[in-house]
Amino acid sequence: MDFVFKIAGQAGAGVMITGRMMVKCFTRGGYNVIGYPEYPSLVRGGHNTVQVRISDKQIHSPRHDCDLVIALNKDAIFYHMESMAEGGMIIYDQLIDPSRFKLRPDVRMHALPLSKLTLDVGGTEQMKNTAALGAALAAVDYPFGMLETLIREELARKGEEIIKVNISAAKAGYDFVKSGGISFGKQIKPASDVRKTIVTGNEAIALGAVRGGMKFYAAYPMTPASSILHYLIEKERQFSIIAKQTEDEIAAMNYAIGASFAGARSMVGTSGGGFALMTEALGLAAMSETPIVVALVQRNGPSTGLPTWTEQGDLRMALHASQGDFPRVILAPGDVQEAFFLSAKAHNLAEKYQIPVLILSDKFLSETVFSTERFDQSRVKIERGKLVKGPLPALAPMTRWKRYAITDDGVSERALPGTPNGMHVGTSYEHDETGFSSESFIMRAKQVDKRAAKMKKLLKEMEAPDVFGATEGAEVTLVTWGSMKLPALDALALLETKGIRTRLVSFTHIYPLNPRAVKKALRNSGITVMVENNPTAQFAGLLKEYANVKLDFHMLKYDGRQFFAEQITEEVVKLKEAGFKGQQRIEVIEKEDMEYYNPQRHGL
Amino acid sequence: MVAITDYNVAEKSQWCPGCGNFAIVGALKGALADLQIPQHQAVIVSGIGCSSKLPHYVNTYGFESLHGRGLPAASGIKLANNRLTVIDVGGDGDGYGIGSGHFLHIMRRNYDLTYIVHDNQIYGLTTGQASPTSQLGMKTKTTPYGVVETPFNPLSTAINGGATFVARAFAGDMAHMKEMFKQAIAHRGFALVDVFQPCVTFNKLNTYDFFTKRVYKLETEGHDTTDRMKAIEKAYEQVKTNYERLPIGVFFKEERATYEDTLPQIKEKALVDQPLSGLDISAVYPDME
Ligand SMILES: Cc1ncc(C[n+]2csc(CCOP(=O)(O)OP(=O)(O)O)c2C)c(N)n1
Ligand code: SF4
Ligand SMILES: [Mg+2]
Repeated sequence: MDFVFKIAGQAGAGVMITGRMMVKCFTRGGYNVIGYPEYPSLVRGGHNTVQVRISDKQIHSPRHDCDLVIALNKDAIFYHMESMAEGGMIIYDQLIDPSRFKLRPDVRMHALPLSKLTLDVGGTEQMKNTAALGAALAAVDYPFGMLETLIREELARKGEEIIKVNISAAKAGYDFVKSGGISFGKQIKPASDVRKTIVTGNEAIALGAVRGGMKFYAAYPMTPASSILHYLIEKERQFSIIAKQTEDEIAAMNYAIGASFAGARSMVGTSGGGFALMTEALGLAAMSETPIVVALVQRNGPSTGLPTWTEQGDLRMALHASQGDFPRVILAPGDVQEAFFLSAKAHNLAEKYQIPVLILSDKFLSETVFSTERFDQSRVKIERGKLVKGPLPALAPMTRWKRYAITDDGVSERALPGTPNGMHVGTSYEHDETGFSSESFIMRAKQVDKRAAKMKKLLKEMEAPDVFGATEGAEVTLVTWGSMKLPALDALALLETKGIRTRLVSFTHIYPLNPRAVKKALRNSGITVMVENNPTAQFAGLLKEYANVKLDFHMLKYDGRQFFAEQITEEVVKLKEAGFKGQQRIEVIEKEDMEYYNPQRHGL
Repeated sequence: MVAITDYNVAEKSQWCPGCGNFAIVGALKGALADLQIPQHQAVIVSGIGCSSKLPHYVNTYGFESLHGRGLPAASGIKLANNRLTVIDVGGDGDGYGIGSGHFLHIMRRNYDLTYIVHDNQIYGLTTGQASPTSQLGMKTKTTPYGVVETPFNPLSTAINGGATFVARAFAGDMAHMKEMFKQAIAHRGFALVDVFQPCVTFNKLNTYDFFTKRVYKLETEGHDTTDRMKAIEKAYEQVKTNYERLPIGVFFKEERATYEDTLPQIKEKALVDQPLSGLDISAVYPDME
């Protein structure tokens, strides 16, 4: 069983909340569920959708085509008709006149008097999507009780009156579909009692950080990173952390570095534009050897770009940001479990090596909600490295502690303010062993070498890529970094049905790259295809640079959406048909243009 | 007992002979000693500039951040460990120019920290460009025909902006300056001390002599530091008299809850004193299942 709903309506109509409710509803029924939102950068007037994919098998990414669309506005019919699965169904608000649109003979259309249904039970226009949710569940014969319980819990704080009306609205939608004999023709019954958790990439990053000992978070709102800030501020007191909205990203980064200098594990979260503003301070963290974690949630650049869409275009920026050379680590989780554990690991690495660590996510992973197991938090261990505990031996008068002592592994002992006899200056200038500014040529070279020496041990902390699918005898090997693991995993299954033995090599530890691990993972890999969500194959370039590995094909997508498994599959099949010959560069673009931003352009 | 000499360091200060910064360091050490703040309990933060080298010359913890970023770094330090005495120092270019956005917002928040601005009305370290407080008409490397931009008024801005302690000192009057620093550090909340600091190398207009002739102490005039409107009037005196009369002393003072006071999570223990491991995140699952 593999079924895809899409709830679509005008921004502000509550589509996102309804989507999340639906995800919960089916997760509670024991299904694997993915809730994938799309929305333009408009608060009102734009077109919002949530795609809810449910399956009794492992699924990893949204599907391109939908089975059942709940259309709360006319745009929904216009936009989503093309991507309806064969024999699909659209249930639309009766206020919409579908005859204005090109319909498909195989797609069933059913009108729903949403306004009437909600108003009749004493509800408001705002509750139309609750009624629609009820209708959607009825169409697949999912028990209403699941939804009723959920509404009770979600609205518990709003009082019995509100709960009652919402349940009535949902029931009205449910009953209308049932009594009208509208049925998709597919029954979805609760599958098991196993209860999974639903979590977005951003929530996983936040929770991993907190479990990893993060005590201080600073950020300035920026999509698609903002939900980390919202989540942490909401839980601030419960977790006993401080999460601060600052005046800008420059402040956020410098607050976090200050807090870390004082001894609190610290993180900032932003997207490309905000990270550009943090760039100077990234170097401050490096020079003063202050641990810092940056969650960089990518959207499409350059500049303001596409604020609410996805891309993996900031890898080179993360790698090269800030002047001079200094060690750093880049991690890129490929799913929510990895987001949790890598976020915790980032804090260990930052503190053990006293360096900046970047977590690269993107809008797709960060804002999509996935059903998953509870995080096995016992696996998270806190390692603080060479942190001084307790008072240090007395210093000679007028001298300071050697915070930046030259060591073999490049890491020096670190004393926090408040530690007796540990006085020193953390500084953005080149400095001597006590932190005093120094322009000695010899000291300069020594400090550069000391910082660089950290890379040696760090390389051992970098895990080899994960290998999925055909470990032996692969005809094709897909290579991904970060979130593109998800559609690639689903493509593995699809390619299997096409008779193409495929392996997936998924990188989460992006920099520094261990050349031996790269080569090992790519041994006997057949035809290699990099699948990357950017226009220049940034990670393929890194593989070439650091492991001297050249991949046969670069499959690239940079239109605002992530890859869908169907698209990867289609391109690989085409490649095979062409005898794996042709241009190295393969571009994938969505077939139908959505242009959600400006519906007027389509006369909507 | 902390002696003033405990704050000494062996390294020689790198400022020009006669620079007002020497007196500022001296007065700051004196204030710390008078307040008996242990070396390891103080963090002196700075930006970048001649003035921002100060943390190197006081034997406490120090953090010399980036140009204009001393205030956010100091804020982070204070939030992470509110037991520390946190003092941020920097130049007029640093705080009122490149860092001006942070200056405006830190006052609203009223963290319990002290901000000392070495206001030499010039960019010293970068060898003599105009600063936000350069006097109208002054010729500098970047204003060959004289400054035409209205000078930034840090005191009136601070009084309007939510600072809870606003004072001015003059580097030529060390005893008075030390008293200002002491009061500022002892004050619970955000305290600004803007210091007239002669830059003997690049500012030939606002010299020791210039200030000695013009400054007078607000205390001697019976100024009421709780009267906000009066304080603003005093802050405008330099404009009104075309720099003829320059009041120094405490302009304004009020008691207001600090930002830290509003955070129950650090009421008992500073963030850095709380355990890192073992936090059970299971409590969040009910919302997610
Ligand atoms: C981002 C950045 N821009 C420019 C500089 C160069 N710079 C260093 S100090 C300074 C101005 C110094 O003036 P001020 O802050 O008044 O300090 P002073 O030297 O007068 O004490 C400038 C422009 C820098 N270090 N960083
Ligand atoms: S340039 Fe001016 S501010 Fe800088 S050290 Fe010399 S006198 Fe002092
Ligand atoms: Mg200056």
